[in-house]
Amino acid sequence: MAGKSGRTISATPEKTLKKALLSWEGMLLLLFIVINIFCKCISPVYTLTNVLREMPKYLTEIFLMFPMAYILLMGEIDISVGSTVCLAATVACLSSNAGVPFVGVILIALLTGTVCGMINGFLAVKFRELPTMIITLGTQIVFRGIAEIMLGDGGSISLTNADGFRAIAGKVGPVPYIFFLVIICAVIFTVIAEKRVFGRNLYAIGSNPKTAFYSGIKVNQMLFISYTVLGFFAGLSALFLTSATYAANTTTGKGFEMDAIAMAVFGGISTAGGKGKLVGGIISAFTITCLRVGLGQINMNPQVILIILGTLLICAVLLPNISQSISDKKKKASRA
Amino acid sequence: MKKKVLSIILGVAMVATLLAGCGNEAKETGAAGNTDGPVYAFVSKSAGNPFNERQATGFEEAVADIGGKAIIQHPEAATADAQITVIQSLISQGVDSICVAANDENALQAALEEAAAAGIKVCSVDSTVNVASRLTHVNQAGVTEIGQCLMDAVYDLTGGEGQWAVLSATSQAANQNAWIESMKEIQAADSKYAKLELVEVAYGDDEPQKSTDQTQALLQNYPDLKVICAPTTVGIAAAAKVLQDQGSSVKLTGLGLPSEMAEYIGDDDAHSCPYMFLWNPIDLGRLGAYTSAALVSGDITGAAGETFTAGDMGEYEIVTAGDGGTEIILGAPFKFDPSNIEEWKEVY
Repeated sequence: MAGKSGRTISATPEKTLKKALLSWEGMLLLLFIVINIFCKCISPVYTLTNVLREMPKYLTEIFLMFPMAYILLMGEIDISVGSTVCLAATVACLSSNAGVPFVGVILIALLTGTVCGMINGFLAVKFRELPTMIITLGTQIVFRGIAEIMLGDGGSISLTNADGFRAIAGKVGPVPYIFFLVIICAVIFTVIAEKRVFGRNLYAIGSNPKTAFYSGIKVNQMLFISYTVLGFFAGLSALFLTSATYAANTTTGKGFEMDAIAMAVFGGISTAGGKGKLVGGIISAFTITCLRVGLGQINMNPQVILIILGTLLICAVLLPNISQSISDKKKKASRA
Repeated sequence: MKKKVLSIILGVAMVATLLAGCGNEAKETGAAGNTDGPVYAFVSKSAGNPFNERQATGFEEAVADIGGKAIIQHPEAATADAQITVIQSLISQGVDSICVAANDENALQAALEEAAAAGIKVCSVDSTVNVASRLTHVNQAGVTEIGQCLMDAVYDLTGGEGQWAVLSATSQAANQNAWIESMKEIQAADSKYAKLELVEVAYGDDEPQKSTDQTQALLQNYPDLKVICAPTTVGIAAAAKVLQDQGSSVKLTGLGLPSEMAEYIGDDDAHSCPYMFLWNPIDLGRLGAYTSAALVSGDITGAAGETFTAGDMGEYEIVTAGDGGTEIILGAPFKFDPSNIEEWKEVY
């Protein structure tokens, strides 16, 4: 299993596997186009301006998908990131209300996120025998707990001065700033994953951690960096989320971790590590976003939308497995 | 090399479809769909909240009366984030009004300001949003209405004279304290209540056990007690059980949930509570719809002192609210008695 997936990143990838991988992103792109046409057909208000206007809420989650994809590629996971967003948003609101200038608020929020990420990274490295699912489950509860204490009795803090946050929620024409930021991050993360040693190492660790370790890859360092980066992006996500709410409360960022993981998995990135591409995650993130916006515009029951997304996700996970087993059978048959 | 070309093609194709798929800008303005008349939207706290779903029912009923289209949206979770998603979508659809039962007083401000900037009339119902986010708020009941209602019930159940007591929540509970204070004022102001004596305000802290203990203490300390008034859902349920189990002649009234109180409500001696009150969620939803319609038609702007007619519910006036904004008060609480409790216990 591990050997097979390892081959996909070797210098001379096997033709059929390469095809299969390409076709997954290709299929996603096709799905993206189909869904956009579908949304256009069902909703008369599915226009570029409206989609871009509704998008920032989802874009805050796409931010998290990039570093989350790295962690998934290494075969690890982080389910604490939603709580990190909550904590960073809380700290941002508190510091803003305390009169800290907005640049300071940005730094404080990013620092809070980064520190949370470092804690996750430290624990993940220090206790390699513990599954990261459990470690981050713990920190998920701890981070949100701290945020809830800071939020106090009412469970909600609103900004007394939202000017700075109003500014970062601004737009160039119909395009919100956050959109450009997401595109820039998408390019950077994709290039690192595809073209840099760091990216190669991610796949190597995800495919076979032991081999990766013995071939000199600093596995612990890679883990620590990835978790820290995810924390940093949680801080960034918190800033933009706050710019849409002017407030932080106990439910801020709830479910973000799962949405980010879902986007990555739907994009073909395996939670077992070593498989999948950033491009797939990016296309799937926008596909999911467009579908949610479109279905929302025809006032489809949000619960039904969740069911549709869940079903799509299961199909997305099942399809490669099914096609894999079919091609395996064919291979066997041809050998015989 | 091939990969690079491919990724560029992918990227270009994505942007192209985004542009082509939703490029038709001309259609963007105007109301959603081809419906006649205005579109009124109601955003509840979450799905599966019976109190909220009744409000939605009332909202739909009223919109059917007014003429127009009602959009009822239950967000996917009981969070402000989920409500923002719904509100953003409603802005895209170009609805005429949004009536929201907020999950967070402040967190909807950015979204609702955006809605207001798009010309949508925003009001809140049941749970308010902050002053900057709304034109006005539809409140279930004013303090004075509740005080008057409970005082009348005490007067009725005692027969106009004798001892009565209050079983409240905690001693700091703002709502309860305001209602009790209001009852005291009403009692003092009118000579018709002169023969009534409020012997004690007991605090059950909204805990069933403590409320039970406090009820028993009241019965022991005041053998001539005629009525207990519990303006809290926890207190009234605990007291009802004590009185009914002991077969006490003391009668009970107050504010309670029909589903919890159904088995104690009855006119005969076997039941401890002849009638009680709470808000009617259906009427609340209906008033929300009529308020939305009046805001859309321009009959009101949400300023204090304005009046409007809410269909067959009659005339309503906008008054100044405690938070500095304005509100519309639904009126006296809704009465639950043996004639309607069977129907309402299924509701909430």
